[in-house]
Amino acid sequence: MHPSSREFLDGGEHLPLYYGEDQLVLLPRDPYWLFTYWEISMPTRQRLEFETQNKWEAFKLALRVHRFDMDNSGKESQFDIQINSFSDNWYIKAGVPDRKYQIEFGYYLPENVFQSLLTSNIASTPRDRLSDVIDENWQLPDWQARRLYWRISRINLSSMEILAKER
Amino acid sequence: MVKGYLAFIFHSHLPYVRHPEHTQSLEEKWFFEAITECYIPFIRVFQGLEKDNVDYSATFSLSPTLLAMLEDSFLQERYVGYLSRLQLLAQKEEERTANDPAFSPLARMYRERLDYTSYIFNEKYGRRLVTAFRELLNGGHLELITSAATHGFLPLLGVQKEAIYAQIAAGVEYYEKIFGSIPRGIWLPECGYDPGFEEILGELGLHYYIMATHGVLYASPRPKYGIYSPILTPGGLAAFGRDPETSAQVWSAKEGYPGDYNYREFYRDIGYDLSLDYIGEFLHPNGLRSNTGFKYYSITGPENHKEPYNPQKALEKASEHAGNFLFNRQKQVEYYGEIMDRPPLVVAPYDSELFGHWWFEGPQWFDSLCRIISQNQDTIKMITPGKYLELGYPLQVSTPNASSWGDKGYNEVWLNGKNDWVYRHLHNAAKKMTALATNFPRAEDILKDALNQAARELLLAQSSDWPFIITSGTMDSYAKSRLMSHLIRFLKLERQIWENNIDISWLRHLEATDNLFPHLDYHLFQSLNETIAVEKDKLMGAV
Repeated sequence: MHPSSREFLDGGEHLPLYYGEDQLVLLPRDPYWLFTYWEISMPTRQRLEFETQNKWEAFKLALRVHRFDMDNSGKESQFDIQINSFSDNWYIKAGVPDRKYQIEFGYYLPENVFQSLLTSNIASTPRDRLSDVIDENWQLPDWQARRLYWRISRINLSSMEILAKER
Repeated sequence: MVKGYLAFIFHSHLPYVRHPEHTQSLEEKWFFEAITECYIPFIRVFQGLEKDNVDYSATFSLSPTLLAMLEDSFLQERYVGYLSRLQLLAQKEEERTANDPAFSPLARMYRERLDYTSYIFNEKYGRRLVTAFRELLNGGHLELITSAATHGFLPLLGVQKEAIYAQIAAGVEYYEKIFGSIPRGIWLPECGYDPGFEEILGELGLHYYIMATHGVLYASPRPKYGIYSPILTPGGLAAFGRDPETSAQVWSAKEGYPGDYNYREFYRDIGYDLSLDYIGEFLHPNGLRSNTGFKYYSITGPENHKEPYNPQKALEKASEHAGNFLFNRQKQVEYYGEIMDRPPLVVAPYDSELFGHWWFEGPQWFDSLCRIISQNQDTIKMITPGKYLELGYPLQVSTPNASSWGDKGYNEVWLNGKNDWVYRHLHNAAKKMTALATNFPRAEDILKDALNQAARELLLAQSSDWPFIITSGTMDSYAKSRLMSHLIRFLKLERQIWENNIDISWLRHLEATDNLFPHLDYHLFQSLNETIAVEKDKLMGAV
């Protein structure tokens, strides 16, 4: 066996499927979509099964998606996505660009009370258009600004797209 | 009078590929082809311009993995063998085509090019091409910049700030090791940007980075000059946005220059065209057909019928296209000049490897362009981002938009149903590496070696190339196995370190195989929170 070969250096080992740690991670994919993956470790599952006297498979699991408001002063809205017990990742249609999001992983208690188990990091969706924020010291006359942005966007995006976005 | 500036950025990167365990490796051939068909032709063009006192400017980013491969003696040795096999093929080709008036001049052209390549690589620079780049850097026309250590796609590694810091800091340090100074700029891999890592970029002494068009265009507040002036970011760097017109002119499938019928056809290569009896010994021992670089036809037209390549006609076309490119830039800066109260700056970034390799005449085109810009007009001036910043125009403060130059403009190329599984592993490994680096702040001897090697394995796993190749679907089994091997090796090291049970002979083999960045220091992965805490303590002590 060559000492630089995979067989020798990797020693026939495989990647673990999971890392034995409760975690919930949120990543932005684009202005409209987020991706999350999670792990609920065995000890946590067993504790929950013991506490609720329910099998893990019978838990009504859900992701609760929170969107922060425009100036990030608080969370303006939320929605839940029901998931099954054997999923470990999900694409979330967040819908609104240029916002911060945070999600929780949890389950429903009887009477649909959401019990949170894990909270993710905060992730931001990118902007998909020109910013509405204008610095008055750095401003072109309107007709000049239109000429500038029109030509840049003509190739990068279609002009229809930019005009639609400008309105 | 200068009415506008033009900044070419050539981004050069290959993933770290080095396989002593195989007698020949298809993946190492990417690197060898890039040396022969791209880097040396570019060096030749730049040196020719300097010799003729042409006042050109260009920026070349050399990714740290590419630099490490250029500096690796094993790969240098392999390249020498590869090149001499090609020279042998060139001799055979001259004999084979001796009586063919269309092909024999082409065979001679390839033989001469390979002889020149060998002269540059072996004789002039003693196998160290970085010396050529250092000379060009000192010449003052070429600006060199770095990239993240292993070209990690930073927006998706950013859950751990330490991973971003290590990628960038290791890239900056390796550049400094090779070129003796801190680079002014950085090429963010795939132009992947997220405002979350601004602070880190600012801390490392960098002055600027390059972005996708909408990274700057959609910055907030809205940039007054769009992408025709850089903006000043919260981290105190300048962000330069890619001009879409210059990229379309070169790369548009419909109107792009490289598709001109006079240019060389990439897809007709004697590695596919000639009988295996003849060409077999120059192909991979597994018998698969592959490119040799000997290509005798021009694009000719949309049909399968191809005419012999005519280098003279192609060269004339390249110079005609250079003229067309300049004309379009003149019109472009006139247009923006009417809107702006400063000369617009057009930033034109390209992947270097497409020049020469895929667009055979690309380096010649650039050569012609530099010459006509410096000789025949004074409306357009070539510049580098670093020199542009020295002009001292006040920059608008604005926060760039998260973006990339990949398909659809954001993270999807590196995060989709085919490759999303990699992030669980990459993030957990980075977390474990930070725990190690923070818990063993003063490691010595074997422990230190194991920690440094763990850092190398993690960096190698983080290359943007692996999820990219998995998305593109060709060679994806190679990308998967590379990614998994580096993670497996990392996890094994991590376990051995905690258990104080390091397998020394295995570690030495690992160091000899995954051997990039010999001076890499695992402390780069230390917790950023801890670092700040320590500094505050020191401050308190000083008071």
